[in-house]
Amino acid sequence: MNTKRIIFWLGFVVVFGLIIWGLVVAMNKPPVMGLNLGAPAPVTEADHVRGSADAPVTLIEYSDFQCPACAIYYPLVERLLSESTTTVRFVYRHYPLYPQPHKNAFIASQAAEAAGLQGKFWEMYQLLFDNQKSWENLPNTESVFEGYATRIGLNTEAFKKDLASDSVKKRVQRDRDEGISLGVNSTPTFFVNGKAIVNPQSYEAFKKIIDDAARGDSN
Amino acid sequence: MKHLRKLLTTRLAAIPTSFAVGILIVAVLGFVDAAYLTIEHYKGVIPPCSVVSGCETVLTSSYSLILGMPVSLLGALYYLVIAIGIFAYMDTKKTEILKWTLFLTIFGLLMSLWFLVVQAFILKAWCIYCLGSAVTSIALFVLANIVFKKYMITETVDNTAVLQ
Repeated sequence: MNTKRIIFWLGFVVVFGLIIWGLVVAMNKPPVMGLNLGAPAPVTEADHVRGSADAPVTLIEYSDFQCPACAIYYPLVERLLSESTTTVRFVYRHYPLYPQPHKNAFIASQAAEAAGLQGKFWEMYQLLFDNQKSWENLPNTESVFEGYATRIGLNTEAFKKDLASDSVKKRVQRDRDEGISLGVNSTPTFFVNGKAIVNPQSYEAFKKIIDDAARGDSN
Repeated sequence: MKHLRKLLTTRLAAIPTSFAVGILIVAVLGFVDAAYLTIEHYKGVIPPCSVVSGCETVLTSSYSLILGMPVSLLGALYYLVIAIGIFAYMDTKKTEILKWTLFLTIFGLLMSLWFLVVQAFILKAWCIYCLGSAVTSIALFVLANIVFKKYMITETVDNTAVLQ
């Protein structure tokens, strides 16, 4: 094997090595700019809230029940709530990416709201995320959601009526309009104490953001 | 069968270096695209959902894994093999290597067509990076066909090779 050929192949290896190295480096850069979004409206009685009202950290999520990324963050938020019971107050707001790309997102939000009218918003929230794959592509989701309503012990007749009611639709639309006015354009979008955060890529990173915010507040 | 026998007996004439470099560039582009998605997969980045893209639906679907491996990794390996094949041909000038490398592009084409069907009819969502890979693999197949058409040598009765 002569030198020319060795150089030839070395060049090949180097080029591919550089491509992979370049990609890894470029992708490891943390996003330079933070999220530049408006401050969400203060938490009110009408919001869906978990955790104590005097918790130092308020975590607001704009979310879409049909969004796979939201379904990935759902167990992380659950774990945060169970491990930081005294530090976090969690607020869920609807931001259905409807009609595109998620055609069933709006009706899913309506289902959660209809369950909320009977005091079981969070039970429906969990069922919707747990079973996202089974309803996301259905042409008609009503019967599936009615099944969930029965499972969590709702009055099915009232649920059916509320699912289609204008006031429930308006309630979902109100959250979405507010999200749009803040500049939210993807889900999930989290706000920690009123400031939008770049989505953490692991539970540990998420917990650190919450813990830092809790410390900052008590200092 | 007839086609396979034809392929086995077919010989290719040498192709211009510029042509080989062109194929190489397409393969490298495909590799960059697939490698990007592979790295993203193993970094565990959770692509958020937004109005403008359906990538998250495609990349988190069950179709994005084959035997537990991300499709993008298979894609990256495919483009790497094509690039190595073309490079080996440019190094050795052996047209047998060129022939079998180009033959492989049919697999890239079939995989890409399958994923286009999955995106269009099953997931009803499109991922721009997957479409990019479809473009490069279709381009490779087209280039391979041009080579087979233009540079095929058929043996004549008196065993002198004739360029078709």
